[in-house]
Amino acid sequence: MSFDRRAVLRFLEATGHNIFYVMLLLFGQAGAYLLLMPVIFSYLIFSRKIHRNVAYYMKRRFPAHGVLRLWFDTYQLVYSFGQVLVDRGWLGLCRGARLNGELVGQDELLALIAKGRGLVLLTAHVGNWQTALSHICGFKVPVNSLMHYEQEAVAKHYFDLRRESVPFKIIKSNGFMGGMIESTAALQRGEVVTIMGDRYAGGPYAEVTFLGGKVRLPAAAYSLAAATGAPVAILLAAKTRRRDYIMKVWDIFYPEPCDRNHRQEHLSRWTGRFAQSLERYLGEYPYQWYNFFDFWSQ
Amino acid sequence: MEELKKQIKEMVVRDLKLQGVDPAKIDDNTPLFEEGLGLDSLDAVELVVLVQKHFDVQIDDMDEGQAAFKSINTLAEFIAEKRKK
Repeated sequence: MSFDRRAVLRFLEATGHNIFYVMLLLFGQAGAYLLLMPVIFSYLIFSRKIHRNVAYYMKRRFPAHGVLRLWFDTYQLVYSFGQVLVDRGWLGLCRGARLNGELVGQDELLALIAKGRGLVLLTAHVGNWQTALSHICGFKVPVNSLMHYEQEAVAKHYFDLRRESVPFKIIKSNGFMGGMIESTAALQRGEVVTIMGDRYAGGPYAEVTFLGGKVRLPAAAYSLAAATGAPVAILLAAKTRRRDYIMKVWDIFYPEPCDRNHRQEHLSRWTGRFAQSLERYLGEYPYQWYNFFDFWSQ
Repeated sequence: MEELKKQIKEMVVRDLKLQGVDPAKIDDNTPLFEEGLGLDSLDAVELVVLVQKHFDVQIDDMDEGQAAFKSINTLAEFIAEKRKK
């Protein structure tokens, strides 16, 4: 008798999702959070892979922590990620479900947009970034999001669940010139372009120090801003309480234009500023880092 | 059209700071990117801005950019066509 391991895993995964959906419908967000605790605990007991994938970050963020302390750090991080996933399901499935978001630095962003030179909003895979970005509104100019295929699919899925249309225009980064032409045009029209500044998936990059190690980070955003004269604002989201999240502007700067012979050093400087903001963020929210792979070898 | 091509070549070499390249020696059909003039996606960003600044022509999307940025010839045709409208 043949044993299709993948089919079994798919079945178990679907069953797991369905159990969470039932919990959400019957007991709401709090009920699903409660179920999440033993699920994450069991997952950490039986999966060595998750410990390995989280350890790349944990050992840099908490170098002094021993094995037991790191185990509980991992629990907190995976549990917080589980909460973000539960929230997404809850917002999609339950009528009246709502998270309260606060945008710290909104006035500064509005003042930058009012200058009419566009705005590059740089963010990262931290906190409940998808939910938070989905609710960016009140900018009075169109918002564009530079995304690769997987991010686009997740964003569309989120809005499909809520039976809403995507409130921003998606610029595909896997197209000609990595979506740079559309992004440039959008900034020239004075619009907002959001870009993930942490995961490198090809194209221009800079190597900077982040949490004590060298890492390759995408750098096209800074060139985009320098060429168009747009400012860069680093906006990171964090879940603060069960139904609250915060989006905070961590840094604002204007990358100055530079010629191609000095481009790399300029890109390294601006990318370094992004890395510093991310470090400060992780100082405050150490368990909201959602890059589950060896980030330093990307 | 020849004057427009000359202006584009001079703009590319001067504003993108291509070292050791003589604008007069650029072939009209030389690809702008990769193996041609060696431009990359960051140069594409600057090129979109330069075309807007010098010729008042906006390149709005990937399809337009892909067609226009093949060579000096295609860029000149694109600019000329947009200016007619």
